[in-house]
Amino acid sequence: MSRVWSTLQRAWRQRALVLALARRELLARYRGGVLGFFWSLLNPLLLLLVYATVFRLVFTPRADVRPYALFLFAGVLCWGFVSSALLDAAETFRTNGPLLRKTTVAPEVFPAVATGARFAHLVLALPVLAGAIAIGALDGSVRPDAAVLQFPVVLVLLAAMVLGLALVVSSLSVHFGDVRDLLANVLTLTFFLTPILYPIESAPRRLRLLFWLNPFAPFFVAVHESAFFFRPVPAIAWAGMIVWTFLALAAGAAVFERLRDSIAEEA
Amino acid sequence: MTPPPAAIDVQSLTKLYRRWGKKRSIGTFKSALLSGRPGRALAPDEAIPALTDVSFTVAPGETVGIVGPNGSGKSTLLKVLAGILRPTAGSVSVRGRLAALLELGAGFHPEISGRENIEINGLLLGLSRKEIARRFDEIVRFAELEEFLDAPVKTYSSGMAVRLGFSIAAHSDPDVLLVDEVLAVGDEAFSRRSLEKFAEFERAGKTLLFVSHDLGLIAERCHRAIWLDGGRVAADAPAGEAVTLYRESVAAREAARRAQPRSAPAAGRPRRVGSGAATLAAVRLLDSAGRETVRLRSGEAARLVMEVEAPEPLDDFVFGFAISTVAGATVFGSNTAIDGFVPSGLEAPSTVALDIPSLELAPGVYSVDAAIHARDGSPYDYRRDVLRFEVAAEHPTAGVWSPDRRWSFSEGIRWKT
Repeated sequence: MSRVWSTLQRAWRQRALVLALARRELLARYRGGVLGFFWSLLNPLLLLLVYATVFRLVFTPRADVRPYALFLFAGVLCWGFVSSALLDAAETFRTNGPLLRKTTVAPEVFPAVATGARFAHLVLALPVLAGAIAIGALDGSVRPDAAVLQFPVVLVLLAAMVLGLALVVSSLSVHFGDVRDLLANVLTLTFFLTPILYPIESAPRRLRLLFWLNPFAPFFVAVHESAFFFRPVPAIAWAGMIVWTFLALAAGAAVFERLRDSIAEEA
Repeated sequence: MTPPPAAIDVQSLTKLYRRWGKKRSIGTFKSALLSGRPGRALAPDEAIPALTDVSFTVAPGETVGIVGPNGSGKSTLLKVLAGILRPTAGSVSVRGRLAALLELGAGFHPEISGRENIEINGLLLGLSRKEIARRFDEIVRFAELEEFLDAPVKTYSSGMAVRLGFSIAAHSDPDVLLVDEVLAVGDEAFSRRSLEKFAEFERAGKTLLFVSHDLGLIAERCHRAIWLDGGRVAADAPAGEAVTLYRESVAAREAARRAQPRSAPAAGRPRRVGSGAATLAAVRLLDSAGRETVRLRSGEAARLVMEVEAPEPLDDFVFGFAISTVAGATVFGSNTAIDGFVPSGLEAPSTVALDIPSLELAPGVYSVDAAIHARDGSPYDYRRDVLRFEVAAEHPTAGVWSPDRRWSFSEGIRWKT
């Protein structure tokens, strides 16, 4: 407990550096592109258009999740954040080896930067989501209300959980060469087992408990409730999110502290 | 009176590097999980000592050099002091704000501008955003990068990147500065300016610890030097003494290796000797335009100047210059006696200049000795390695002499034009 706390404290003291490095990541990515930050909007926009086209013209979704493009969009954006942040974290120590070996920077900064930069991507895509909701509201297919205010809280909890997992995968990746490949596989499987493409209610009743045991399930239930159905997020989902976030941070701090000494030596 | 608390206190420091050996090459997470004991795969196979039972303290305001052969643990010591590596045993404490210059520009990102890199590098060195903003202009001025501030760092020459890296670190205002062999990079003019910056630190009462293979620099700049050998402290003494001990050991080792006795290297001699009846206030190298320089082109005109001071008028004096390679081979040496001048009177301050119409040296770095001595050779002021300069040429040639030259060929030899 105190270890989790001190790791978080250390990370907090480095927040200016984390912010600056995350900003650098974003700037370096968009610098030189003609459209600059507009790219960050274009990609989700295209994704949304493809969903809208395919699920209107090709594939008929269930009646309870229409417009399906919008249902899918919120979840896929959030999952994009989870998977890209974790994959970045799995190679961040290798990418930043010179910094680790040659400067006094605290190593926990790097998984935090991977999470922060990808979270910023997610936030930059939110205007597209907001626009899509607004269009849906105009033609009456969704009715946004104050329940949407839960969405930012859900995102913050999701980011904290991802930070915990990022600490785990980044420190393990220093010792094991295959963490990133393994992670990519696990993420693909998890994507389909998590209620992102479907509402959790469509899981068969006898298996539903199993679905709820997936750590990501409460987060995506909450994403759908707050940003698609505009209903209060159920208490069980809140409880799940808080418990999993805490466990992820505790595991992250524990694994990181265990391997911390060897990071600057091995990276 | 109790002494002030040490700026750096190292007690029985031992650092082992852990090696994961064979396990690491197989080292996959899958096999670790399948083995059923993932924790075991994280345990090291063997430990290699990098530092063994190292103890020393450095008082505030002291400048201490670390010398020793490659692999003796110098860089590891700095990294442990900087907090990058943790001691395996023993303790290390540093009082005050610490800045470590282990590699200039280590934190630069090539795609973003110098401006943004200054901010990130400053944060890496532990400055706050406010402090960076306050020092920003000075950092840029010292690095002489005003025009390139908004260009991405990938467009900088390596010299520019080094200047910027040093400037940021130098302006981070540390109480304790750790420097690892960074003066070796950059041109002569820049390393001179960085040395001035170090002198400024020293005057401001900051503590400096630096690793260098430039023993002359250590002997000249440091109060004290620690000689590390095989991860242990072999000597901790006044800088000149420690450097001499180290040099002797290197020479002895070298002699043993070649299994034949060799005379002690010239480098073992002191850098400055003399009675002081006359002194060299300054020695300068000027180019053909009369500007002071440390970089010339092969074949260019050069002028060596010494400024002489003497407390009392003299009637017995000889001025001399010698140029040698940094490896120690003398390339040229002459003095006013050799060249036929018979002294009659000297009233200081005065200036002596030696003009060389065409500096026919091959590209490389050369060292200048300057001397004033009596006709019988007893030195008033003899300064070895008082100046270093670089000779550049379009094409490198072998050796040290690059004369003006012409080739001619008989008929029957043809060249593509």
